[in-house]
Amino acid sequence: MRKRNLVLLVMAFLVLSIIGLSGCAKKEDEQTYSGTTIRVLVWADAHTEAVKALIPEFEEETGIKVVFEDLPSSNLTEKIAMNLVGKTGTYDLVAIDEPFMPKFAEYFVPYTEWSEPKVLDKKIDLDELVEAAVQGATWKDTVYGLPVNGNIYMMIYRKDLFENPTHQQAFKEKYGYDLKQPETLEQLLDVSEYFYQPENGLYGWGPFTLTSEGVTVETMWVLRSFGTRILSDDLQPVLDKEKAVQAFEYYKQLLNTSPAGKLAFGHPERIQAMNVGNLTIMLQWPGIIPDHENEEESMVAGKVGYMQNPAGPGGRAAITGVWALAIPKDAENKAAAAEFAYWWASKEAGEKLVKKGMSPVRKDLLTDPDLQKEYPWYQAQLENFEIGVNRPRFPEYSEISDVVRTYFANALSGEMTSEQAVNEMDQKIKEILEQNGYLK
Amino acid sequence: MFGFKEWSVWKKVLFYLVVLAILVVELFPIYMVVSTSLKPKIKIWTSISPFESFKPTLTNYQNILFERSFLDYLKNSGIIAIVTTIISLGLGSLAAYGFARFKFRGSGTLSLGVLVSRMIPPITLSLPIFLLVSRMGLLDTYGALILAHTSFSLPYVIWLLIPFFKGVPGAFEEAAMLDGAGRLRVFISIFLPLVAPGLVVAAIFSFIMSWNDFLYALVLTSSTIKTAPVAVSGFMGQFGPDWGMMTAAGTIILLPVFLLALLLQKYIIQGLTFGGEK
Amino acid sequence: MDTLSKKIIEWSNGISQHGKYHYFRKKITPFAFVGPALLLLGIVLLYPLLYSLKISLHQWNMLEQSEPIWIGLGNYLRILGFEEFWSALGLQLSFVVIAVIFELIIGFAVAILFNREFWGSQVARALLLLPIFVLPVVSGMTFRFIFNPQYGAANFFLEKLGLGAIEWLSHPKTAFMAIIIQDIWRMWPFMFIILYAGLSGLPKETFEAAYLDGASKWNTLVHITIPLLKPTILIAIILRTVDALKAFPEIFVMTGGGPGTSTTLLSVHIYKYAFNFWDMGYASAASYILVFIALIFTTFLVKNMYRE
Repeated sequence: MRKRNLVLLVMAFLVLSIIGLSGCAKKEDEQTYSGTTIRVLVWADAHTEAVKALIPEFEEETGIKVVFEDLPSSNLTEKIAMNLVGKTGTYDLVAIDEPFMPKFAEYFVPYTEWSEPKVLDKKIDLDELVEAAVQGATWKDTVYGLPVNGNIYMMIYRKDLFENPTHQQAFKEKYGYDLKQPETLEQLLDVSEYFYQPENGLYGWGPFTLTSEGVTVETMWVLRSFGTRILSDDLQPVLDKEKAVQAFEYYKQLLNTSPAGKLAFGHPERIQAMNVGNLTIMLQWPGIIPDHENEEESMVAGKVGYMQNPAGPGGRAAITGVWALAIPKDAENKAAAAEFAYWWASKEAGEKLVKKGMSPVRKDLLTDPDLQKEYPWYQAQLENFEIGVNRPRFPEYSEISDVVRTYFANALSGEMTSEQAVNEMDQKIKEILEQNGYLK
Repeated sequence: MFGFKEWSVWKKVLFYLVVLAILVVELFPIYMVVSTSLKPKIKIWTSISPFESFKPTLTNYQNILFERSFLDYLKNSGIIAIVTTIISLGLGSLAAYGFARFKFRGSGTLSLGVLVSRMIPPITLSLPIFLLVSRMGLLDTYGALILAHTSFSLPYVIWLLIPFFKGVPGAFEEAAMLDGAGRLRVFISIFLPLVAPGLVVAAIFSFIMSWNDFLYALVLTSSTIKTAPVAVSGFMGQFGPDWGMMTAAGTIILLPVFLLALLLQKYIIQGLTFGGEK
Repeated sequence: MDTLSKKIIEWSNGISQHGKYHYFRKKITPFAFVGPALLLLGIVLLYPLLYSLKISLHQWNMLEQSEPIWIGLGNYLRILGFEEFWSALGLQLSFVVIAVIFELIIGFAVAILFNREFWGSQVARALLLLPIFVLPVVSGMTFRFIFNPQYGAANFFLEKLGLGAIEWLSHPKTAFMAIIIQDIWRMWPFMFIILYAGLSGLPKETFEAAYLDGASKWNTLVHITIPLLKPTILIAIILRTVDALKAFPEIFVMTGGGPGTSTTLLSVHIYKYAFNFWDMGYASAASYILVFIALIFTTFLVKNMYRE
């Protein structure tokens, strides 16, 4: 017994003297985290894969051990929900997709209450991030998480085709103006129709039609571009049916220029059709753009151009899709979790993460001239964030989204006329709002 | 059945052609999975004919085995599936015997009740099971998944085996009982060998149900004992699947079960000869 | 035999000597066999089953931090007049009926064909089982790829056969066919292996006798094989039906429930309400209706199982 005490004493002395010798205040702070383990649950893609690879650096810097789990988004949401409802306190930091934030917000610690970092210099100032992204993490004027992934549904097109003199000449002859990035929805339709050349294996518009959230986003974009929306900011139904019908009819025309299977186009179909060079123009999430620019899997790498979404009768619009990191109220290691989030959202980590396909939300990264050169879509991404709008933000969003995608699809497939689809959609939305007590 | 050896050559040729045709049609999607797993990424997109030639690459396999620690997930899945199968088969064959050979009050209701757990969509049960396991402090343990999987494969095993037990002629049992053998002994030394084909099928299914389970693995476990199907669904990705890795993982997952099916077959044949002796 | 089982046997023999427990034993023996399984099921499933039954009687949005509100049969009554539910149920039942019938016919035919030893028979049988082993999500994704109108194999073959291309997943009817084809492909081997095992267990001499009597193959099949195999066939149908009633991941991956709601089977519908809308009360009630239907169906088949 005595011997062991002696050993302990000597060891304690040694440890103390080492700390004393190093003497640096920062080192002392690190001690507060040693032995702390945080569990992080996020979505799975190239971005989070890159974060995972960088974790050892973070662990060394802070002494925090990170258990990092990633899941496809739908499963992720289920798992987060169960853990929150079961009050397990298992996870210290979780990622939430923008439209679900209102539903989950009350389980999270508001960003203003996140603790100051001990290792990093300071909290991430939300002004460093693009505004539309911060909006995506906001519910009832309170920010509930730190946005880290800035997706915005932006237009991409085949630059090489647009620059091809033969096409330029033929296009001008047919439409009477120069072939260039479409500035308006009319021009977008012209371009799509012009490049609809099935005999050459070429098609115009790349739609999103396979039943899923993507269809809702597509609908929201076209509605917004036509100057109407489904819900006002105070959650009242404000759909202008006339404009909505025009929007649906317009999209149907775009769809006429799409390849076979156009009524069942989801992400894999869209990525494939673009990568093999079938599509001319479409909306895409920046998170997927690295796939198009990757020579190993894309025949159009280096041939894709990026632009601000064209203006419709109601102006320009781009739909945001932001992932934010949030700390559950029942988390055990909130301070360490916040530290990890700050590190993830920092410029330094961001510079490494963009190389692996992160879509930045930091203004300094998006505007960095070197990065802009390397990632030609950053400028357009920034421009689209300027016209960025969120999907309706309220807890019952999923129900609205389901209605929107169903009736939009019905209109596109011809199962209903656009008028019918818009009327029934509007009716259903009002019912949902009424059931949940939003209707004034 | 019988008579195959006496068939004429033409009949045999025809027979083999039919067998071959069935295999080709049925295995075509599997061929798609396996060939995709060997394709370079760009080929996956551009092959219009499924038989277009390509230079096979093992990149996808290297990726998942060495960079994504897929072997660990396979090990977890394997342990859980094996234990689940053993428990399900042990308890299930006892229960099936009980249901098949005794008439007791409530046996009908009980055997139906047992099946209810398989009738209810797992989506609905996943929340309460999660809550239960979490309160028992078993989240992210082998035990939790083994219990959950067993509870779903047990009803299956029981129901699958009932007709096999019922099919055994009563005379066997009576003769053995007259010899002074106890119930349990009759069960072990007489019934089990006779229902071997059923046991094999039940073993294959309870293994596969546990091996392929996604939802419960997703809900009840985290990083410590992540299973292979959860990892595969990770390759489904945020937007589109990583075809190469998904199919490579899908192929690797098939192998152990295929070998199991191949190995266990001889017991079905054994059952066959037993049946012949009846 | 190992010593443990020997001990158990001695022990069970020992008990059987005690005449005075005879009556008691007769009552208790079945439970000695059935008991362990019931106990395990009870421990694991009783709470979840009762919990979801309880929730089905409440209005409860899972993510709202308020207590569930007791509404009695409210959720069930809501279902009665809920068109979306009935359409989903209708789709689910058509899906199950069509898929299971095809799976049974193909599985049975192949089981009879493969019920003999030939060169490579064991490997062939194991190969036939492969589709069952494919993960549902991988299967769904692969079929989505196969049914791709431009690059998919389905249209490649159709065109080779001189038939026109079909935009499979774009139209309600063909999309519904596509999810059924996927299910048939993956699951007829399930029927096959159960029926094959059942055939293996049948007494051989019955067939020999029939053969010697000069009965035709067809007559042997209809009058001997099928009646003898009836319990196994019915069980295979029950097990397959019960599972097909909740088929979910492969369908969701293939179509997302669309186009429109043409492939929103009840299982997809329940998923939507549970994990998209978080309406657990409704989802649980819908699940119990599914259980109720499955129970009626099963009871009906079981009643017929041993009736001649």
